[in-house]
Amino acid sequence: MTEFIEKLKNIPMHMDYEGQARAERLSRIIVTLFGVVGFIWGYIIQQFSQTIYILGAGFVLAFIITVPPWPMYRRKPLDWQAPQFQVTESQTKTKKKK
Amino acid sequence: MHSFLTRANAILAYTLSVCACLTFLCFLSTAFSHYDTDVRLRTFKTVVKNVPDYSASREKNDLGFLTFDIKTDILLIKYFNKIFIFNWNVKQLFVYLVAEYQTKMNSLNQIILWDKIIIREDNAILELKNMNTKYYFWDDGNGLRGNNNITLHLSWNVVPNAGLLPSISAKNVHSFAFPSEYTTSRL
Repeated sequence: MTEFIEKLKNIPMHMDYEGQARAERLSRIIVTLFGVVGFIWGYIIQQFSQTIYILGAGFVLAFIITVPPWPMYRRKPLDWQAPQFQVTESQTKTKKKK
Repeated sequence: MHSFLTRANAILAYTLSVCACLTFLCFLSTAFSHYDTDVRLRTFKTVVKNVPDYSASREKNDLGFLTFDIKTDILLIKYFNKIFIFNWNVKQLFVYLVAEYQTKMNSLNQIILWDKIIIREDNAILELKNMNTKYYFWDDGNGLRGNNNITLHLSWNVVPNAGLLPSISAKNVHSFAFPSEYTTSRL
């Protein structure tokens, strides 16, 4: 059981900063596009319910594409500094003063 | 946008904003449409009786009977060379027939004789023949016998998806007279 939880925790759930920006932009574009197309189609056939259904389809698509942290949103990880284990005493003191 | 839930929340909120915006645009696209139309009304078999109205009092009041025809095509609109019965901001119509007349007691009497709900899937071209009234044509006195100027008006409410609730009356009215003698026999 604990192994299972460990595995779950190890699933990468994060997006990098670039990925977050891409996800947001993509979701906005998808929902807006489906809304506009739905509006035009609903006007042509004079059925407003179709507009709402098409907008709903856009929501589902945007949800699938941009909510789960797909690998394409993890292409530019931050270049973290390597962890430093040897910390001298003088450094810790100066940090405490700050 | 850093976690699963914040992204889901952002998309849902944005979709709802777009939905509200589209609904408002739908209202704007139909805000200036004209819904009035021609109607042809005819009446037959007008009969008036003098009977006690037990629901109000024991006094004898005038009760009118009539049969009528209605012919109209409500809300036929044309877009892109195609004829639609309803535009996209109409959910249903509530159609009702009103009789208006003047008596010595009241300068204006209005009685609803008949009504009908027409939903989107229905045929909005009304062609009704020899209809009986749905509600009683009670006068609150003796104003119906020999009354020769009773007008029938067809009106309807347009129930929209969003926006105003227009109440429209057809331009043409039909006037008729009740006979000057009470009918005593059973109808």
